[in-house]
Amino acid sequence: MAPDAILLEARNITKVFGGVRAVDDVSLQVREGTIHALIGPNGAGKTTFFNAISGFMFPERGRVTFRGTDVTRTMNWKRIAMGMGRTFQTPSVFPELTVDDNVRLGVRAHAGQAFRLFTPTGDAKATVDRRVDELLGFVNLTAQRDRPLSELAHGSQRLCEIAMSLSTDPVLVLLDEPMAGLAEAETDRIMGVIRDLRVRLGLTVLFVEHNMRVVLSLADRITVLDRGKLLAEGTPAEIAANEAVRSAYLGEGVLEHV
Amino acid sequence: MKARTELLVSAATVVLLAAAPAISPLVHLDVSIVSEVLVTAIAVMSVNLLLGYTGLPAFGNAAYFGLGTYGAALSVKYAHVHFIEAIVIGTVAALLGGLILAPFLLRRRGIYFGLLSIAFGQVFYFIAYRYTDVTGGEDGMQFPRPDAVLGGAHQTISELGFYYVALALFVLVVIAFRSVVRSPFGRTLVAIRQNEARVRYLGLNTDRFIFVALLISATMAGLSGALFGLLINFAYPLQLDWHQSGYFVLSMILGGAGTVWGSLVGAFIYVIGKDIISTITPLWQIFLGALFVACVLGFPRGILGSIAALRARAPDTFTDDDVNAAFDPNAPVEVGRGA
Amino acid sequence: MIEHIGPQLFNGLVLGAFYAIVAIGLSLIMNLTGTINMAHGSFMTLAGYLAFTLVSRGTPFWFALIAAPLILVVVGVVVERTLVRPLYKREPFYSLLMTFGLSLMAEEIYRLIWGPNGVPFSPPKALAGAAHLGFMSFPTFRIFIAVVLVVAIAALALFLTRTRFGLRLRAAVQDTEMIAALGTNTQVIYAVNFGLGIFLAGIAGVLAAGMLGLSPTSGNALLMPAFVTVIIGGMGSLFGSVVGGVLIGMAISLTTLFIPAASEVSMYVLMAVVLLVRPRGLFGEEGIFG
Repeated sequence: MAPDAILLEARNITKVFGGVRAVDDVSLQVREGTIHALIGPNGAGKTTFFNAISGFMFPERGRVTFRGTDVTRTMNWKRIAMGMGRTFQTPSVFPELTVDDNVRLGVRAHAGQAFRLFTPTGDAKATVDRRVDELLGFVNLTAQRDRPLSELAHGSQRLCEIAMSLSTDPVLVLLDEPMAGLAEAETDRIMGVIRDLRVRLGLTVLFVEHNMRVVLSLADRITVLDRGKLLAEGTPAEIAANEAVRSAYLGEGVLEHV
Repeated sequence: MKARTELLVSAATVVLLAAAPAISPLVHLDVSIVSEVLVTAIAVMSVNLLLGYTGLPAFGNAAYFGLGTYGAALSVKYAHVHFIEAIVIGTVAALLGGLILAPFLLRRRGIYFGLLSIAFGQVFYFIAYRYTDVTGGEDGMQFPRPDAVLGGAHQTISELGFYYVALALFVLVVIAFRSVVRSPFGRTLVAIRQNEARVRYLGLNTDRFIFVALLISATMAGLSGALFGLLINFAYPLQLDWHQSGYFVLSMILGGAGTVWGSLVGAFIYVIGKDIISTITPLWQIFLGALFVACVLGFPRGILGSIAALRARAPDTFTDDDVNAAFDPNAPVEVGRGA
Repeated sequence: MIEHIGPQLFNGLVLGAFYAIVAIGLSLIMNLTGTINMAHGSFMTLAGYLAFTLVSRGTPFWFALIAAPLILVVVGVVVERTLVRPLYKREPFYSLLMTFGLSLMAEEIYRLIWGPNGVPFSPPKALAGAAHLGFMSFPTFRIFIAVVLVVAIAALALFLTRTRFGLRLRAAVQDTEMIAALGTNTQVIYAVNFGLGIFLAGIAGVLAAGMLGLSPTSGNALLMPAFVTVIIGGMGSLFGSVVGGVLIGMAISLTTLFIPAASEVSMYVLMAVVLLVRPRGLFGEEGIFG
């Protein structure tokens, strides 16, 4: 695939909840190798749009194409096999299992071992062990690998979730508000990991974010939603200068320091 | 539990069970009652796999249990099959029942799964109840315990003989069960209970896992039912009734959800308790009902689970204790399944 | 055979109305609190026995038909407040186990008080005969039952759609997160909702005792068809319960006429077919219970 080929395309997505159009006719293109941000004030429909793209729910109207294939009504677990990974606003993990087991479940799933009725040994186990080590190293959680997730800080849980979403070898990673509820130091740590996703692993990233400092320093392209509709799309500089975006965010104060 | 402790406890339990026929007369227990404990424990394990490990409210396992009993009973009565064949036929009958019901059950989760499993489980009850000519209807059907035939040699199965057959099968089931729940498959089931959405976002079709879990569970319940029928030489519709499913669930909760040996503890309390109390008072059902209420209010983690919680140590690796600790009553049951 | 079809269809309607009213009660409780009330059958039985006791002490049947369900509501609300409510925050099968245990105890208690066998409970003389409609005749009591059940369901529908409290209750039943948003006293909502479900069970219990007999476990006979009704109609849809109930009632009474041995199995066949076509039931929506 060419470097700026379109990896994911959503066209005219509409999702209705009880008569309310949570997402109304929104289109978006994510190009290969970019870090693309999806922003908008509270209630703009970012997470709903995200859910429609990742198959958490299906949209009423519109089309989602991933790697050239129509996936609009493809089951979420099949999209993972096609190379999509995703995290959730509240870290979606197995809280009572250890860090190691959380990541191992994903690695095994990807290695086709999840269905085995007997514990693998030898080569099969060695391959999985190696991959788990690698992923834990990438998010820097090796030291905490034997602790249950519920004992870990919020930021570490999120890192573990990122490692889990990487365990299935995705080409596109969808991150839903990766900085939500994190302290400044933890935010920086996750920002580093997101940069590494592209630089070290060569992945494409689409993320929903509230924190404008994060968005403007990480993203190559930004899509802005407001009240379910597409408001603007462009480079960080274009978005920061956009009058409509500024007025939509007015009162939230997020653009004040830009 | 540390591996060595677990091995010791398991070995001690098996030795104790092997010696049980010698001990039970001392406490005025019939050996057939101890057989019933072992047989019931297998059915309780079948519920444990679905409810304790996977988090599915399995309130219909009596259907598979009863199919096992009727499979064995009908084949002995009408086809005059031998002991081992009757066990196999009963077990396969339950597996077939699971194959019919699983496609309907596996599409839903949480309370709706419970509702479907209660409702669908009852269909075999009504068939056994109404198809009087063949099944004897409400009165049930009696049948003799057939001989076992191995290599042409006939062997009658005494109560003591039956006990050791049941014990051997029980130990086999425990070993297989323990292996399955610790396998990648079993861990995925536990993961489904904790967070099904995440399992799906690891690229796994959770419906497939639940389908296989349902079939394994149905097969185990069927084996238990076939043995139970051959133990009491009788098949009756109430074995297929939702009340029976409830007793299995109660026993599972009593012993502790998500523990291998908990099922034996639960079955022991239920079977022996019923036997003792029903000889003292005809009001057995009040005590049983009170046991439900007390169990739900008193120790939702079961006997073994409560003991484990008392020991209150930090879980180190993925052990059965952790599975039990993970049995969080507050965890949300429903997940996004992508419309 | 053919001449029996008309009366049998009417019987199916009456049965269906029973299933519907029981299913609506189950549905209300299930949707708001996630509790599958396994004691619903025992509540119905108790209503029958209460009416039986009242009538045998000289109370008119009409009075017992209202009084027994009301007494039942008091019992139901006490049970809900003391035993069931503490379980709402836990996984739903705990409340299922609780109500199951309660039903076991209740059956034994009924045996102690009213004896292990059934008791005779017949409708009043005024309702004993048959009504002739020219081309066929129906037992008057069954017509009476049909009228009462239809009025009860209609009254419930009016309560839920026309009164302020009913609307709030319905909103809460459809979306439990709404309760907090509405700022309504959740304790009151829970109690009224449970009471309402039990009241419907009470009316069904008294009428069923007159039509189907009264014994310590007689109420359970309506429980399983009511579960099937909820599944066919779709969880959370009261209209679905009515349609589902009538469909099952018809299916059961027609198969009783032609293949008696398959009468119960017919409702499972119906349920399987409906689920294959519509996995969430006829009127079920994508709800909180998936």
